[in-house]
Amino acid sequence: MPTPATRDLRFLDPAVIARLGTMELKARTVVEGFISGLHRSPFKGFSVEFAEYRQYMHGDDLSTLDWKVYARSDRHYVKKYEEETNLECHILLDVSGSMGYRGSAPMSKMEYGSVLAASLAFLMNRQRDATGLIAFDDRITFRLPASARPGHLHSLLLGLERLQPGRRSDVGRPLHQLADALVKRSLVVLISDLLDDPEPVIKGLKHIKFCGTDVIVFQVLDPHELTFPFSGSAKFKDLESAEELITEPTAIRTSYLRELAGLTLTYDRALRGGGIDYVQLDSSQPLDFALLAYLAARSRRK
Amino acid sequence: MSFLYPAFLLGALAIALPIVLHLLRRDVAPEVPFTAVRMLRRSPIERSRRRRLQDLLLLAARVAALLLLALAFARPYLTSASGGGTLVVAVDRSFSMSAPGRFEQALERARTAIGQASIGERVALVAFDDRADIVSEPGSGADALSALNGLKPGFGATEYGPVVQKVAELGKGSGGTLIIVTDMQRSGWTDAASQLPAGWHLQTVDVGGMAPNVALSNLRIEPDRIVAAVYNGGDAVRQGQVRISYGDRQIATGQYSVEPGALTDVPVAVKVPTTGGLTVTVDDPGGIPADDTRYAALGTSQSSVAIVTGGSQRQSGFYLERALATSSEESDGLAARTVSGSTVTSDSLSSQSAVVLLSTRGLTREARQAIADFTRRGGGLVLIAAPDLEASVVSTMFNWDPPLTVAEHQGPLSLAVTDIRHPILRPFGALTANLGHVQFSRSWRIRPDGWDVVTTFSDGTPALLERHEGNGRVVIFASDVDRRWNDFPLHPAFVPFTIESIRYAAGERRNPREFTVGRAPAETAGRPGLHTVGDDKRLVAVNVDARESGLERLSEDEFRQKVRTEAAGASPASALQARQTEGAQNFWRYGLVLMLVALVAESVVGRVS
Repeated sequence: MPTPATRDLRFLDPAVIARLGTMELKARTVVEGFISGLHRSPFKGFSVEFAEYRQYMHGDDLSTLDWKVYARSDRHYVKKYEEETNLECHILLDVSGSMGYRGSAPMSKMEYGSVLAASLAFLMNRQRDATGLIAFDDRITFRLPASARPGHLHSLLLGLERLQPGRRSDVGRPLHQLADALVKRSLVVLISDLLDDPEPVIKGLKHIKFCGTDVIVFQVLDPHELTFPFSGSAKFKDLESAEELITEPTAIRTSYLRELAGLTLTYDRALRGGGIDYVQLDSSQPLDFALLAYLAARSRRK
Repeated sequence: MSFLYPAFLLGALAIALPIVLHLLRRDVAPEVPFTAVRMLRRSPIERSRRRRLQDLLLLAARVAALLLLALAFARPYLTSASGGGTLVVAVDRSFSMSAPGRFEQALERARTAIGQASIGERVALVAFDDRADIVSEPGSGADALSALNGLKPGFGATEYGPVVQKVAELGKGSGGTLIIVTDMQRSGWTDAASQLPAGWHLQTVDVGGMAPNVALSNLRIEPDRIVAAVYNGGDAVRQGQVRISYGDRQIATGQYSVEPGALTDVPVAVKVPTTGGLTVTVDDPGGIPADDTRYAALGTSQSSVAIVTGGSQRQSGFYLERALATSSEESDGLAARTVSGSTVTSDSLSSQSAVVLLSTRGLTREARQAIADFTRRGGGLVLIAAPDLEASVVSTMFNWDPPLTVAEHQGPLSLAVTDIRHPILRPFGALTANLGHVQFSRSWRIRPDGWDVVTTFSDGTPALLERHEGNGRVVIFASDVDRRWNDFPLHPAFVPFTIESIRYAAGERRNPREFTVGRAPAETAGRPGLHTVGDDKRLVAVNVDARESGLERLSEDEFRQKVRTEAAGASPASALQARQTEGAQNFWRYGLVLMLVALVAESVVGRVS
């Protein structure tokens, strides 16, 4: 089994990625770095399209042995096939005002989410999956229908690059809109900080799931949101509602973290109970965890 | 509570520092953009409130520490440390309180005041008219109430000064409250503002104004008539009879009719006897009885004054003699005669009340000795600075040590009267300023060793001095009375000034025939009437003070303004007393301990927060 320690994490570090130029380069770096660390290629599987021969290694399925080659060369080779896809993936990226927050992480939550979305799109494109993008705050601000055409990835990456933080978030509304629009089973990836009221979000996601679609939820949070490290009297101003609160952070840290844990637990229970993958991401941490979560979901679809 | 060093209390202003820092710190909370403010609001805000409470506790501890430090340095002490302080209830017993029902009302108010004494407070009872007597020494309220029952209105006039003076004696070193139960008569304040000791507070209990009253204010005796001055203190025209009695026999009557608030002379034709005493009474049903009757002792009571001149200068003493002549017609006037220094003998002075020495030239040894003996036996001696008066001769007469030292001064000066309470100057009242108009071109600069300075010139040098010599009194005026060194004889104030100076010097040698109750000889027991006093069994008349019949009253505020409270440590004696009291109490140590407690509390609260 591959272990995280054996992978080259340099290219997954947000601090490195943040310094890279275009979204395409960022996505390529993430995906290549991620793939180079894996011992087993995710591109290999059961399919009709031949990909390559490889010398038999202990542990390989004997059914994959090519006996004809053995007969000719007296060596054991296994046949590898390129997997075919009919997967349609929709990436929903929250671009509300709160996603523009950047505490101690190298990137804002929206930048982090954009790189994640780009990486996923890049990965899907490599697997010939059709990928679409929907950016939203309290309404849909950008939409690119799912497609596996060669030039589609470029359009998607360009769209991600041009995104700006918007207004208040309303995650539930675009989810319902998307659920109504889906015509065949697909994969929906939601990237958001999910700081909204959880009830409409959960209802929207369950709506999609009900349509037979797999859903992965990435909750992106800044380290400051996760640890609330502030000290000294401060006037907290909400990025979306502009409401203000003067308080002593040390006095309310525990209760805030308890509140956040409660929110996380609510999502975790509700989503996992509904067969939805829920992954909480720290925007200062490498993206591999997110990509692994995606692959796990992808493999479940097979 | 008082403070030994109150200036240190200014240090308490330092509390502004933590307060300002507290306020500033509150205002500089930086703005922090955040995403989940909604969740912060849902967090129990009590923690934040608790922090604010902690901040307030910290602030309170710091402020308390600074205040206690300032207090400790100011060295506080309690002026009434011996207990709950002293309550002095002073009851006005002047004759104006003898109106029907008034004194009973005053006693009731006094009982209420005594009953309000707090636990541990000592209660003293003082009764006053023109003098103040301690009726009940500081002690229990029951003693004071018991003594109160024995009080009766007298015949004296109201004077508040002695009350305050009595409290000043009672209240040294301790604080308390003085409650004066009175009818608030303005005439009661004859002196300048009085002063209560530090730590004393004044309260007044007003028993109300004067009831309708008719008073016999004055009598003028003429050979063939008597003029009675009748004052109507009511608000309606009053009419009635004036009755004149000689012994037990009524010898004449007259009718009076006086407008409200007016003073009317009522002449009654009568052949006035030359000896004995007269009693004159006016009808006043319902008024104060004490001021309805006045007494008059008939016959002369004039005092003789010898003006001793150099003999050769005939003009010397001219103005003085003429001034004294103006009083010779009064019953208690001064009969002056001018004598030469060479003719003065002990026998010639035996009938005199006072001697005015204008010159020492020609004074024989016997004359000098006669004047010295005369003075020591109780006579009055007035020395007038003049070219003919030699200070060394006078010093030798009395063997003064240090001797009378004078130096002639030339230059314009005027009188600067500062103490109008002195008997010589008191009659001038508000007219004292007129003395300042007199221009002096020459004077004596007298070294006041052994002398009491009555008044000074405008440059601060003594102008009028006095000293006791045996039973008598010597008064010296530092300029002459013959218009050689000043223009004093041309001023109207010259006559009363010289008369009062000589009367004052004569003192007990004068033989007045009429007294007010407060100033009557002891044999009269302070009762109005005709009395026989002295070794010579002379008849004198004692009357109530007519000022007491006045209607003018003081408001409570005006009354308070008349009484100052001595600042703590204002005088050396009180400063010493204050230091001793503070030293015995040592409150500053407790202040420092409490300050340390406040600092420890601050440290604990700071660590917790």
